[in-house]
Amino acid sequence: MIKQVLELLFGADPELRQIIGVTLRMSVLSTLISALIGIPWGVAMGANQFKGKAILSRITNTLMGLPPVVAGLIVFLILSRSGPLGKLSLLYSVPAMVIAQVVLISPIIAGMTSNIVSLRAPSINETCAGIGISGWKRLWLTIKECRIPFVTAVLAGFGRSIAEVGAVQMVGGNIQFKTRVMTTAIMMQTNMGRFELAVALGVVLLIISFVINSLVHRVQEQTQRDRTA
Amino acid sequence: MIVLRDVVQQFGGRIVLEIPELQFVPGKRYGLIGENGSGKTTLIRMLAGTSKPTSGRIEGLEGKKVGYLPQSPYAFSFSVLQNVALALNGHGDAKEIAQKALVAVGMESLMDARGDRLSGGEAQRMALARVLVRAYDVLLLDEPTSSTDVRSMDLIETTLKEYVQKTQCTLIFSTHSPAQALRLADEVLYLEKGRVVEQGLAETLFHSPQDERTKAFLRHWSLNS
Repeated sequence: MIKQVLELLFGADPELRQIIGVTLRMSVLSTLISALIGIPWGVAMGANQFKGKAILSRITNTLMGLPPVVAGLIVFLILSRSGPLGKLSLLYSVPAMVIAQVVLISPIIAGMTSNIVSLRAPSINETCAGIGISGWKRLWLTIKECRIPFVTAVLAGFGRSIAEVGAVQMVGGNIQFKTRVMTTAIMMQTNMGRFELAVALGVVLLIISFVINSLVHRVQEQTQRDRTA
Repeated sequence: MIVLRDVVQQFGGRIVLEIPELQFVPGKRYGLIGENGSGKTTLIRMLAGTSKPTSGRIEGLEGKKVGYLPQSPYAFSFSVLQNVALALNGHGDAKEIAQKALVAVGMESLMDARGDRLSGGEAQRMALARVLVRAYDVLLLDEPTSSTDVRSMDLIETTLKEYVQKTQCTLIFSTHSPAQALRLADEVLYLEKGRVVEQGLAETLFHSPQDERTKAFLRHWSLNS
């Protein structure tokens, strides 16, 4: 089996390459969109005091733990033929999977961003108030100061996205050469007893996961060094 | 004249500051002394506008230029020079003014260092330079020398005196060191448990305090200094 796995990994199996391609395309796109939503959402929560902040924070925390199948179900109902966006015919396509991922990942990025910002914002706000800096300039400085930890939040979002199975299975349908991603393929191949492809995909997934974790670790180390140097 | 009327500040139902009436005369230097939790920081933050009183009014700050140095100022991750120039907001001679301010607090050798890599004392001096690059009507400093060594403290006090002389601003600062209050302030306020226990000319308050609580605080300080 090892030989077959290696042949798959270093060979030119079109299905394996296609699955990896779809997975990366879906994960990168959903992470980017989630970052565009989650970072401003988190910054708004972490940098400011406003009425309703406590409830918004609780909703975000709840959404951070949203079960993937629930996210999948919500997006499925919205995109299904009788749903509000049924006319777009997006169900069982990569965009549908991206939407489901965005529903899952945006709150995670928002929650992490909010935590990062809320640690620094009080001190930045006091300092800026003391030297007459307010509004957008203060906000920009806050974002700039948190940029490195933001990378951690985005990478964590990507890690979650690439490892996701429930939601993408529900709205993507695991269609060969169309919406099949690494996780759904591993599940299906295992059920079919085709362990070679499942193991080969598992290895790729592990390597990607290792690279992401290494990047996160490096970013965290850098941040720690900056703070303690 | 800055006037506080019936000012109360509560956190979680606990009164942390209660001032029926208090006045600060323009151009004078006021030192706030008292133990931790006496309300010094709360009073300064309210005057700076970063904390709103639960009830009461603060008058006389409308339209005034107020500079404020918090107890834990933020050191941005760019250069020390840029940190200071930040307060000048694109002023034409920002670089030169910032350089002068840094020389005044003894930081000429650290201008290119990253702000977030400074020691506590250096960051405090940088933050003070950042505040002092502009002229204010009212200058609020919350323990400006809490992390600095004796030599730097001398330098900072001299710089502050020169700044106040030049700008004729009202200076209100808090300090853990009554000796510093004596050196820098015209008037000293002793705070305890959120209340101004005694206020008077610095020399008078130190040499003949009237309230027993002030006497006890100063006795404790002189025994430990």
